Amino acid sequence: MSYIEVNHITKSFKVAKKKSGLKESFKSFFKRDYKIVEAVKDISFSIEKGEIVGYIGPNGAGKSTTIKILSGILTPDSGKCKVGKHTPWQDRKEYVKKIGVVFGQRSQLWWDIPAEDTFDLLKDIYDIPEERYLKTKEELVEKLNLKDIINVPVRQLSLGQRMRCEIAASLLHEPEILFLDEPTIGLDAISKQLVRDFIKRINKEKKTTIILTTHDMSDIDALAKRIILIGKGQVLYDGSLQKLKNNYANKKYISVNTKDAINIRTKGVLKKEKTKYGYSFIIDSKQLNISEFLNIISKKVQIEDVEIDNENLDNMIVNLYEDLKI
Amino acid sequence: MKVYLKQMGLHLKSLLEYKASFITSFFSQIIVFFSYYFIILALFTKFDNIKGFTLYEVLLCFAVIQFGFAFNESFARGLDHFDELIIKGDFDRILLKPKNILLQVCSYEADYTKVSRLLQSLIVLVIALINLNISWTIPKIITLLLMLLSAIAVFFSIFLLAASYCFITVQGLEVRNVFTAGGKHMAQYPIGVFKKGFVYFFTFVIPYAFVNYYPLLYFLGRTNNPLCMLSPLLVFVYLIPCFIIFYKGTKRYASVGS
Repeated sequence: MSYIEVNHITKSFKVAKKKSGLKESFKSFFKRDYKIVEAVKDISFSIEKGEIVGYIGPNGAGKSTTIKILSGILTPDSGKCKVGKHTPWQDRKEYVKKIGVVFGQRSQLWWDIPAEDTFDLLKDIYDIPEERYLKTKEELVEKLNLKDIINVPVRQLSLGQRMRCEIAASLLHEPEILFLDEPTIGLDAISKQLVRDFIKRINKEKKTTIILTTHDMSDIDALAKRIILIGKGQVLYDGSLQKLKNNYANKKYISVNTKDAINIRTKGVLKKEKTKYGYSFIIDSKQLNISEFLNIISKKVQIEDVEIDNENLDNMIVNLYEDLKI
Repeated sequence: MKVYLKQMGLHLKSLLEYKASFITSFFSQIIVFFSYYFIILALFTKFDNIKGFTLYEVLLCFAVIQFGFAFNESFARGLDHFDELIIKGDFDRILLKPKNILLQVCSYEADYTKVSRLLQSLIVLVIALINLNISWTIPKIITLLLMLLSAIAVFFSIFLLAASYCFITVQGLEVRNVFTAGGKHMAQYPIGVFKKGFVYFFTFVIPYAFVNYYPLLYFLGRTNNPLCMLSPLLVFVYLIPCFIIFYKGTKRYASVGS
C-alpha cells in the first residue's frame, strides 16, 4: 500500500455554454445551456512517501482539478483516494494539517504587513506549539535566507522574495505532503535556483512528499525523477523522466564550424542549415548515430569545432503532446 | 475564535499602514450616516408622527437597525463580500486551513471605518432614550438588549443567506441588496407603519419585525404582551436554518467546484 493511492477518480463540471454577442448574452440571462465537461476521467496513480513527482500537462488538462481533489477542496464524482489513512475530502480539519499548498499565482501572505505576522497567524491556525514554531521558523528563515525580508511589508517584496516567504509559510506546520503549483512562475534564474535547491533539501531532510505542477520543464528536470503526464483528463504517461527522455530525445542538434562546404545526404539527417561559421544539423540518432555522422563529415571537410546538443525538454514535451494528440 | 481575533487584529495593523485613508473614510462614514439621520429629522418637521410613532421612537428603531447592520459590516465583512472570495478563489485557501470555515470567512476582511457607524448608532440610541422618558424596568432593559442582539443576528442571517447564494451562482448578486441594504432602509422605521404585504414579508420571510416592531411596542409600553418582549428570540431560531444552508453550500462547493 503506497502512501498516496488514487484509484479511478472521475470529476466532471457543469459549465454554462457561452456564445458571443450581446444578443446571446441576453438570451443566456434567461435560459442557459449547460454542457458537462469531464475534467478528469478515471485517473489512477500511487505515490510513495518521500517521492518528488512532477505532475505535468497542457493547460486545461485537469492538473489543478487533481490537485484540488488531493488537497481536499473538491469531492470527486467517483473513485477512491487515500492519503495515509485519510480520505482528503472527508475529515477536512484533520487532513489539511498534514498538507501544505503553494499556489504560485495566488498568495496566502497578507499584503500590507510583514510576512512574519502571517507566520504568527499560521501558528495559531495550525495550533503549532510555541517551541516547535520558533524552531521551524528559524530553520526556514535560515534555509530560505529570509532574515532581511521577513519584517518588510509583503507588498514591498520582489516576486522572488515573496515566493520564498510563501514557501516558508506553507511549511511552518511541517506538512507531510507539499503541493507546489507552479512555484517558479515568473521568477528570475537565481530565485528559481534557490527555490529548487530548497525543495530538494526539505525533501531529503524531512522526507516530505512533493507533488509539483509546472510548465517549466527545467523545474521538472532539476527536481523530479518521476513524472505523471496528464492530458484531456487522463494519465498518459507515468514513469521516470529518463525513460521519456530516451524515447523522445533522439534528436541531436549538431553545429559544425568549418570553412568548407558540406554535402551530406545520409539517411537520418533531418535538417541542414548554413550558419555564419559553418553548418547546423539536426539528426535522428536512432537512424544515424553521432560518431557515424562525424565520421562521414570529417572525411570530407576540415572541422574547426563541433557542438552537440540534446533536444531540450520543452521541445520534447511539445513533441510528446503532438504524438499523443493532446 | 482566537484565530478570528488575531485576523481582525492583523486587519487593523494593515489598516494602520494607510493612516490618512483610514481617517478620511472613517469621517466620510459619519457624513453618510448623518444623511440618513437628517432625512428622518426632516420628515418629522412636516409630520408629528408616522402612524403614531414619534420622532424619538423612530430614531430608537433606526439606531437599533443601524447598530445591527454596522456590527456585521465591521466584524463579518468577509461574509458580506463572500462573492469576491469565491471569484478570486480565496475560498479554496480557507478550505485548506484546519479551522472553522465560517469564522475564517467572517474575518477574511474587516472594515473598521464602519465602526464609526457603530458608534454613531449608539449615540443616536442614547439621544432617543433620553428624550423618550422611558420608565425603566428590568424587562424593558432585557427587551432593549434583545433588540440590539437580534438586530445583529438578523443581518448576520441575511448575510449568510446571501453568501450561500454565491455557492449556486455568483451572478445577479444585486438581489441580495434588496434584502440587506433595502431591508435595512425599511427597517429603520417600525415595520408596522408599512402596508400589510410588507409587514408580512418582513415578519415571516425576513424577521425584521421581531427586531424592531413587536419588541418596540413592548418597550414603549404600547402592549404588555410578554410574547412581544421575547419575540426577538425568534430571530435566533431563524439563524439555525441559515447556518444549515450555508453549511450545505460549502458541501456543494466541494462537489461542484469553482
